[in-house]
Amino acid sequence: MKPLDPRLLRRARAARWYVALTAALGVAAAGALVLQAFAIAHALGPAVTAGSAGTPLALSDVAPWLGALVATIAARAAIAWAQERYAQKAAADVVAELREQVVAHTVALGPRPAGEGGAAATATLATRGLDDLGPYLVRYLPQLLLTAIVTPVLVLVVLGLDWVSALICVVTLPLVPLFMWLVGVMTAGASERRLHTIERLGAQVLDLLAGLPTLRAFGREIGPGARVRALGDASRRATMGTLRIAFLSGMVLELLTTLSVAIVAVGVGLRLVEGMIALVPAIAVLVLAPEVYLPLRRVGAEFHSSTDGLAAAERAFTVLERPLPAAGTATAPALAGATLVLDGVGVRAGDRAVLAPAGLTARVPLGTGRPGGGRVVALRGPSGAGKSTTALVLLGLLRPDEGRVLVETAPHEAPVDLADLDPATWWPQVTWVPQRPTLVAGTVRDAVTDGRPVTADALEAAARTTGLHDVVAGLPQGWDTPVGLGGTGLSVGQRQRVALAAALLDGGAPGGAAPPPLVLLDEPTAHLDARGEQVVLDTVRAWRAAGRTVVVVAHRASLLALADQVVDVASRTVGPVEAVVS
Amino acid sequence: MRPAARPADPLRQVLPMLEVRWTRVARAVALGTLALGFSVGLAAAAAWLVARASQMPPVLQLSVAVVAVRAFGTGRGVLRYLERLASHDVALRGMAALRANLYDALARGPVTRVIALRRGDLLARVGADVDAVGDVVVRAWIPAGVAACVGLGSVILVGAFLPSAGATLLGCLLLTGVLAPWLASRAAASVERRGAAARAEVTGRALELLEDGQQLRVAGRLDGRRAGLRAADARLTRTTDDGARVSGTSAAIDAGAQTLAVLCSLLLGIPAVAAGTLTPVELAVVVLTPLAVFEATSTLPAAAVQLRRSREAARRLVALLPALSGAPTTVVHPASDSPFDATPVSGAPPTPAGQGADMLLRLDGVDAGWADRTVVAGVDLALPPGAVVALAGPSGVGKTTLLLTAAGLLPARSGAVRVGDGGALFVAEDGHLFGTTVLENLRVARPDLSEDDARAALAAVGLDAWLDALPDGADTMLGPDGADVSGGERRRLLVARALLAPAGVLLVDEPAEHLDAATADALVATLAAHARETGRAVVVASHRLTPLAVADEVLLLGISSATGGRAARVVARGPHAALRRDEPAYAWAADQERAGEARVLPG
Repeated sequence: MKPLDPRLLRRARAARWYVALTAALGVAAAGALVLQAFAIAHALGPAVTAGSAGTPLALSDVAPWLGALVATIAARAAIAWAQERYAQKAAADVVAELREQVVAHTVALGPRPAGEGGAAATATLATRGLDDLGPYLVRYLPQLLLTAIVTPVLVLVVLGLDWVSALICVVTLPLVPLFMWLVGVMTAGASERRLHTIERLGAQVLDLLAGLPTLRAFGREIGPGARVRALGDASRRATMGTLRIAFLSGMVLELLTTLSVAIVAVGVGLRLVEGMIALVPAIAVLVLAPEVYLPLRRVGAEFHSSTDGLAAAERAFTVLERPLPAAGTATAPALAGATLVLDGVGVRAGDRAVLAPAGLTARVPLGTGRPGGGRVVALRGPSGAGKSTTALVLLGLLRPDEGRVLVETAPHEAPVDLADLDPATWWPQVTWVPQRPTLVAGTVRDAVTDGRPVTADALEAAARTTGLHDVVAGLPQGWDTPVGLGGTGLSVGQRQRVALAAALLDGGAPGGAAPPPLVLLDEPTAHLDARGEQVVLDTVRAWRAAGRTVVVVAHRASLLALADQVVDVASRTVGPVEAVVS
Repeated sequence: MRPAARPADPLRQVLPMLEVRWTRVARAVALGTLALGFSVGLAAAAAWLVARASQMPPVLQLSVAVVAVRAFGTGRGVLRYLERLASHDVALRGMAALRANLYDALARGPVTRVIALRRGDLLARVGADVDAVGDVVVRAWIPAGVAACVGLGSVILVGAFLPSAGATLLGCLLLTGVLAPWLASRAAASVERRGAAARAEVTGRALELLEDGQQLRVAGRLDGRRAGLRAADARLTRTTDDGARVSGTSAAIDAGAQTLAVLCSLLLGIPAVAAGTLTPVELAVVVLTPLAVFEATSTLPAAAVQLRRSREAARRLVALLPALSGAPTTVVHPASDSPFDATPVSGAPPTPAGQGADMLLRLDGVDAGWADRTVVAGVDLALPPGAVVALAGPSGVGKTTLLLTAAGLLPARSGAVRVGDGGALFVAEDGHLFGTTVLENLRVARPDLSEDDARAALAAVGLDAWLDALPDGADTMLGPDGADVSGGERRRLLVARALLAPAGVLLVDEPAEHLDAATADALVATLAAHARETGRAVVVASHRLTPLAVADEVLLLGISSATGGRAARVVARGPHAALRRDEPAYAWAADQERAGEARVLPG
């Protein structure tokens, strides 16, 4: 893994200016360190020399250098302040940028954004996962840049002062990463084996604690206490075994860097005695030597935040680099009175060698938008046959792997393929009520009207049809009761009624556009009581009466009984299955 | 750095449970002090060496300093390695002890305390929170102790040569060791406090977009929601930014103080040399030593933040423990019918059986509910040996709440619950399967269970074929929390374990969940047959009605305008057949189950 992923700079604008700023601050920091070393050396050196000669200096003799030291204090404080302040901000900005991109890209990938770990992994990434970038950007990256900027600058300065010391630095610096790498390679196998043991022991302790309620139920809770203790002890011993090895690389790092500083110091001291170097450059070298190694030491210390952060970035880029499905560009024709033709439609179900639906062929005449021109079409089939998938295909969210969906507007016009149509012109003509409808955060009224102008009468009528007025009557503030993101505070059934009422009002505003001629309803499967069922039936009837075609994914007998047309949906692994149109 | 001496400090309350041996802490601090002391020693010895060398003495006079510099340079890495091992050992011992003590406290505390814990909560507490409390040793206490010792030692060293310089060094160390950490901790606190709401909003919006993105696309509302996410993230960034200003100040103090200490030493030292109270070589030591000292305090801002974090974790742990906190913990407020994920639990009966001792369980006018509201009101029920009773009603009506109350796990809000000999066992929808063998999982219910009895119990719930297919039979290991078994197998294992328990009454929540219709009905029939054979009583809560034909009596729970208010009541009761005849809604729902199977699921 590269220590700085170029994709991070490409994808996140905040990361670009942050790296530039940190590099600039790094140059400034190098300058401040050099100035500090010279100021100390020029103030202390003459004072020591003059004092040794018996002619002590006054403060005024070194006043300019003391002034320079005051300037260094200010400069170093300002640099540290800016670094910390803007690092935090940049980290938050980068995380926000990547989060929005990951979320938007996942949505654009369609209803099946298949990927490693599935939806849960993406959700974790978009919420907590990207936070790992914080320590990487705030702590690790600056030290990495300082190693690249400050260390060479300081070595060059030392070279100007005392080439022997510079040579020591140049020889020892590469040894640090080399030895750390060697230690890492030699201990990797042992650590991995031990890590596995540690994880297993940890899981066992958590298992016992998580099962405590169960143990109490059966009166068996006292015995395992000793086991928790013994497991904890074993886990500690195993962990210490790993740490003994893991900390070796840290020891090598500390050993090499401090020893190098000591060698520089001794060398400078011995050459001073022989008069091969003056006191002022000697002190400057002495002050600069630890600073040469400091960024490298910090890089080593922050190594873990680098691996975590880079792994988080890598996961984000894996999502972002998944290619988007091609979208059509043609403008969709007006749907009222047209016919949807499913021609041998088949969709592969995930990674399995199953087509669900398979070979689905049907003609679905769409509503005219005038009363009496409506129709109810039920999709029927066992679970897993691809009923909901068929709805996704009709929405244009999913492309069939086999066959196609055509729109016939008039007998003499050539039919157009749904795949060629621009979704932005198709979706305004469709109303979709999925099994788990999303709700606008706000009041119940907001959730139903969604910002559209709706008259009180229309709202009341929709609420009566969908049984929502029962729900509203039971809420503490009626229509003005706040519901949270995703409709928290409402049960699944109540949420369903809100969604049905909203869908009933879709496009039906007085003076507004004609209601979308096609309604796709995915009937809720679980936990529906008699009243809930009735609500769905009433709503479907209301849509039909308004002249709209309702394609419903049916799980229950009552909806099938209501349907004007039933389309059987079946899946298959091998061999074609004819779709039956009754 | 140290927690303020308030009695309410949760870290102090948790401390005894860590069983920290202070000699071990002292050893780690001593090693850390030596390691950093070697750094300071290296700087001081090098300063002395260079200054003395500039006076061009015979080389022999420098040999001690040369050896010292080399020794300090070599020893530091080794000492630091030993210190890290010692401090991690203390921390790991503390975490292990804390987990064990936590287990003991929960195992011996009141049972209602345990039942009221959500599984996720419990795992987070004993996992991440215990780690966070243990981290206080490695990341806060020991660095603070080391910084104090090294700082003090350096002040004494410098002060021995020039007392006033020692004093200014002390002042600068206090800036970086006290003021900077205090600012950093304050910044972290403000970000956490003010960012919590913003962070929750970002999480909510991101999840909404991920889960409902397709609907939003079709409805043309995607761009609006994306803008909403961006705005929420901008609010989160602003709270981070406010904190960053303060932590930036902390970093500035840290960076400036070191040079300030050097400057002060020069300002005081040069006149002291002129005055003859300080030799030139000592001046070099006084000026250059502070450059190495500030490494000790540079970790303290992070230590202060860790201390805060550990204290928050300790606060959550204290809230978990009955003995340490007076107030009740998490009040579980079920959004669904299944408030906890980890159960079967039986409680001590709230009232001894008293009159009607022939009854295994008796409810008289019981109102069941949670701290703030009654969910089910006015339930009367008497269970003689062999009784099989079912609770029916829509999801969310309060079937689970009533079962918990009957089991004595929730106090009744009014009325009386009497449990007979043997107690009552609540079998939740999602009990815990341990990461051990199938047999050991069943032995949780009965320690002396033989393998043959285990086989019989598994056969009773239809798992005999499954058992035969396992590589090691009943000795096959299950993954952590039964990760390797399917939802249906898991339900049946839990029921089999419940059948083996000695409890007089089994209160089984939704045994049909995750099972196909035929298996679900057979499982309920098994429970009923078992009750009648053994003279125990069974109460089954089910939203699926077909299997309830085997029950003696079905209690239909419902909310209607007739029941007044929002609490559910028993709206009808009687055998399945009678309810089908007399209750149109019940008949309708039962018909739906059949029609659905007959027409929608061919075969």
